[in-house]
Amino acid sequence: MDFRRRDMMAGGIALASSGLLGRPAAAQSRAETLRQVTGNSVNTLDPTMPGSTREAFGISVNIYDRLVSFGRKQGSNGGWVFDPDIIKGELAEKVDTSADGMTFTFHLKRDAKFHDGTPVTAEDVKWSLDRHVAARSLAAVQVQTGGWTKPEQFTIIDPHTVQAKVDKPDRLALPNLCTLYCIIFNSKQAKSHATAQDPWAQEWLKTNTAGSGAYTVEVFKPGEQVILRRNDAWKGGPLPYFRRVICQTIPEAATRASLIEKGDADLSIDLQASDVPTLAQRGRVKLVSTPQFNAFTMVAFNTQMAPFNNVKLRQAVAAALPYQDIFKAALFERGAPLFGASWRGSPTNGKFPQPLPLATNLERARALMAEAGHPNGLDTTFSFNVGSAATSEPLAALVKESLGRIGIRVEIQKLPDAQISTLVTEKKLPFLTETSIAWLPSTDYFFRNFFTGAQRWNYSSWNNAEINALCEKARYELNAAEYERLCKRMIAVLAEEVPVIMLWQPNQDAVMPLGVDGYTYQYHRQVDYRDLKRA
Amino acid sequence: MASAPALFGVVVFTFLLMRVLPGDPAVFFASGPNAGEAEIQAIRVQMGLDKPIPEQLVRYLWDIGHGRLGRSMGTGQPVTVDLANRLPASLELTFTALLLALCCALPLGIGAALAPNSLLDHGVRLLCTLGVCVPTFVSGLLFIYAFYYLAGVAPDPTGRIDIFASQPPTLTGFLLVDAALAGDWEAWHSAASQLVLPACTMALFVLAPLARMTRASMLAVLTSDFVRTGDALGLSRRRVVLVYALRNALLPVITIMGIVFSTMLGANVLVEKVFSWPGVASYALDALLASDYAPVQGFVLLMALIFVAVNLLVDLLYGLADPRVSVA
Repeated sequence: MDFRRRDMMAGGIALASSGLLGRPAAAQSRAETLRQVTGNSVNTLDPTMPGSTREAFGISVNIYDRLVSFGRKQGSNGGWVFDPDIIKGELAEKVDTSADGMTFTFHLKRDAKFHDGTPVTAEDVKWSLDRHVAARSLAAVQVQTGGWTKPEQFTIIDPHTVQAKVDKPDRLALPNLCTLYCIIFNSKQAKSHATAQDPWAQEWLKTNTAGSGAYTVEVFKPGEQVILRRNDAWKGGPLPYFRRVICQTIPEAATRASLIEKGDADLSIDLQASDVPTLAQRGRVKLVSTPQFNAFTMVAFNTQMAPFNNVKLRQAVAAALPYQDIFKAALFERGAPLFGASWRGSPTNGKFPQPLPLATNLERARALMAEAGHPNGLDTTFSFNVGSAATSEPLAALVKESLGRIGIRVEIQKLPDAQISTLVTEKKLPFLTETSIAWLPSTDYFFRNFFTGAQRWNYSSWNNAEINALCEKARYELNAAEYERLCKRMIAVLAEEVPVIMLWQPNQDAVMPLGVDGYTYQYHRQVDYRDLKRA
Repeated sequence: MASAPALFGVVVFTFLLMRVLPGDPAVFFASGPNAGEAEIQAIRVQMGLDKPIPEQLVRYLWDIGHGRLGRSMGTGQPVTVDLANRLPASLELTFTALLLALCCALPLGIGAALAPNSLLDHGVRLLCTLGVCVPTFVSGLLFIYAFYYLAGVAPDPTGRIDIFASQPPTLTGFLLVDAALAGDWEAWHSAASQLVLPACTMALFVLAPLARMTRASMLAVLTSDFVRTGDALGLSRRRVVLVYALRNALLPVITIMGIVFSTMLGANVLVEKVFSWPGVASYALDALLASDYAPVQGFVLLMALIFVAVNLLVDLLYGLADPRVSVA
């Protein structure tokens, strides 16, 4: 239909006389082609390459298989979301977990084949898993959070069976193997391109693929477009609907919006937040808004540096912020709030992130300022990165205004992404806002990554002996009730000590023409094309 | 040859400038949970940033001497490959826009000079002022809104060729040339129609210097002795203006054309961004924002080379326009 309309227009008007006429062959497959437009670019076909973009992660999910992956469920808003509690086989037909939770036996699908037609064997699985722990890549740092650190943990039982062992019963051992880093390569193909300096063929795999996934790569132009073609011999799951997928980089957000609205493009997940409600109102597109339940936006204090090493001062700031106003002004309430809970002392459940008992109370804030030893207030800077300016700018303005009322004079600092990353890593910023995301949304994983240790993600550089001990314990705790108890305690300590102020979980807005169906919010926040179809 | 010292200066200057800028690329590119010192250090080593700056500079110069410009962290490709892929896109757009601008600017400038202070003259002045005043991203977005979104006559403004059309085999990288060589007229049409809006946007912006320069230079020439002589000898007005006057008036126009061309190539980043044009300028901007040193350095070197080449070409064109000028 779309094609006819364009043809008719083109016939009438001279400017369009070129280029729009006559491509019936292309039009027939248009319905079976999905065109995603994004502001960012795919920079590698190997998601484990340092510097991979999120869009590259999304593409890799579709061209490679993992042994296992997460299922999906209906989310709170009616749309689909990934479900970390369901683990289904992709290349594995069946996974046996030993009673002690330390040994996993993967039985491979016997008919699974790589794109070049060779069967997927235990040898490929072993080589790939070895690569993920041994090569210098993003995978190694991720999988060690599940207890995978050395190649000796993976053994070949027979050509179709692989066994993997962890030293301690780690709750995240299996979920880690579901993540998009743990892809299975065609080891013969990869090895033929390995060199002495590059034993894991990392150089070659940046621009070539050796996988078994639902799609093969037809065109890969970094920074421009990636075109995928369906692998009709795929055995990892039900055959996806779309035969062809185009992921195109369109830097201008307004252009992406009009492409979707005109039906020339089929999906965008990174439109400008302010455009989205208008688009939805006009009713020509479908909007799937999902609170990103594995992400959170926070205001972080540097707990290792004066003045915010003072817990009273942090509590004072937490009592001074106008949460609801910020939520409205910065996010247009498009998300799930993480403030305003009614519990005191200990939370009612161990889920995280969950709303914390944060509320505005200026009286209390002023009292706390005096208790903190700053009756005359103080000066500080509040930093955010340019990339997040759309929400961070109004947020910063309200932080500045509200803290002014309790005597804290805030200077706002807006920094380019590369610069703020450097300063955050060097732990030099006193007070900042960030949005973070965890692929594996379990409470101990959040606390381990964001509230302990020296890495960049511990934005508040928090180092609390009780939390450190609780994290270590919870990680290996297989008893659900005991795990819940440990998690509740961690959340209670966080609420009391306020190393960060939790604000909200922003929505992800996926916009598509009315006919596109099945969009699923994934842990990697990218598009899994295998979920989608045209109704 | 004479430009070698200048090029060397440009290379060293950009190299140092990039390193003075705040922001550590290694930190930026290291991500993931537990991305600690070890991972950042590994990337630093990979990018060669662990060495002292003088050593980095010497290595960089050595690499340039061997035709290597380093690797872009952002695209994962060698910078030479990226630039080679993207330069034809920028050149094709710039050439088309320049041609378009010249085709409009010369007649308009001549017309305005022939009838100074007439309605035509004022009209040209208005058009030029508008073209210069409206930033390219505004005019670009307006064009898109009017011709794509509202009227639906332009193809979607996304790159060099309709995404659903088949791409002609790459020979020169210039899609129009490649498609014509392959005899694939469907692709040619597609590429040409994608080119119309961005080329118009750019042409509008550079119309002013070209038209104004033509007008000024024509005005000076039209009052000179040889034109009066020509008129007195009874030559047709057409012959006097187009053959004798125009040729003499062209020298400053050619000079300004060289400058306009170099500026367009580097400064059209906004047009490239608005129209998703995969050119060199948007590539360099992305790299700059990510503190990705190699592509920015490569881009500046490329621009310097092109500037030198264009200057040489302009000098040669002088000779054609005015035989009294010779390039020694």
